[in-house]
Amino acid sequence: MRLITHNMLQCHVKNCNDNNFPLRLEEVEVELVEADFQPEFLQNIIGKLEWPAFVNTAVQLGNTNLPATIPDNAKDNEEFLKVLHTALLETHVQQGKMVCPNCSHVYPIKDGIPNMLLAEHEI
Amino acid sequence: MSKPQPVAVTTPTENEKSYEEEHVHNVYQTIASHFSDTRYKPWPVVEDFLNGLELGSIGADIGCGNGKYIGVNPNVCILGSDRSSNLIQIVRDRGFEGMVCDGLNTPYRTDAFDFAISIAVIHHFSTPERRRSAIEEILRVVKPGSPILIFVWALEQSKFSKRNFDKTQQDVFVPWMLSTAKTNNDEAAVEESPKKVYQRYYHLFAQGELDELIVETGMADISRSGYDRDNHYVIAIKK
Repeated sequence: MRLITHNMLQCHVKNCNDNNFPLRLEEVEVELVEADFQPEFLQNIIGKLEWPAFVNTAVQLGNTNLPATIPDNAKDNEEFLKVLHTALLETHVQQGKMVCPNCSHVYPIKDGIPNMLLAEHEI
Repeated sequence: MSKPQPVAVTTPTENEKSYEEEHVHNVYQTIASHFSDTRYKPWPVVEDFLNGLELGSIGADIGCGNGKYIGVNPNVCILGSDRSSNLIQIVRDRGFEGMVCDGLNTPYRTDAFDFAISIAVIHHFSTPERRRSAIEEILRVVKPGSPILIFVWALEQSKFSKRNFDKTQQDVFVPWMLSTAKTNNDEAAVEESPKKVYQRYYHLFAQGELDELIVETGMADISRSGYDRDNHYVIAIKK
């Protein structure tokens, strides 16, 4: 699971509607997998991210290279785009769990695959 | 030998979930590998839809199967999900990303995506309410003004023989023949080995039925609908 995916996820347990994003990453094993650097793709993606959640999640994984706010010149700032590229598209969580900050529901990640299925009573 | 033909069934009025578990989820778990081997060519309508998206779009493929659409357009990001963990492992092994979740209850943020697709999925839900709920869930996760593309099997099928197929019956089991041979290395052995039959549940959509369900949600306007390769499809825009 890449962080671009994580940024789109929220807890979906029944009646867990507040403070259910972002899911906290715990006990993770991370792997960096090289991907093609596409500046134009990244330029268009920036505005679609929940930025503070993305930065906080990267920090949880030990990546402190991202600025707290999106730089004004983000689209022309190649250094920034490269940092963004690594954190967003090349960082893969292979093992671990995602924990809801509100209800503490645990979603396991095994061999790169998050299991987001809920039990009957949680739907 | 002629192709296996569908058989009409009566759907249950309660415990629909366990019915789908037995006749959809468990079947896909079992046939995942063989199923995936037969699903590699993208359908043109889906391919055109994906290639027409803006550079840097993010979308969801809900019920992505073996992930055959995830890499079609490298200029967009598609997050795949499927109810079958065995199919998602195939997605992962092909170098793509997928997650296991239920189409009626996805873990995505509301209004998160620029588009969503659900190809040959909604026909596996066994009541009109559940099929509509699945569409509502797809619409929930895309931004207002964004398109979704849905494909479902049509009642108007060219590949079912008329002799065996009653056109008034929309709920059917479609058999999947799985060889019991353990290896694919010896094709003759596979060919001669006994086949086990797995029955998958389908609701075959009549012309206009998918459009009506989408309109019923009140969440989208139909942009385009059509028929292609024994399927009905609709592109709708979230309000």
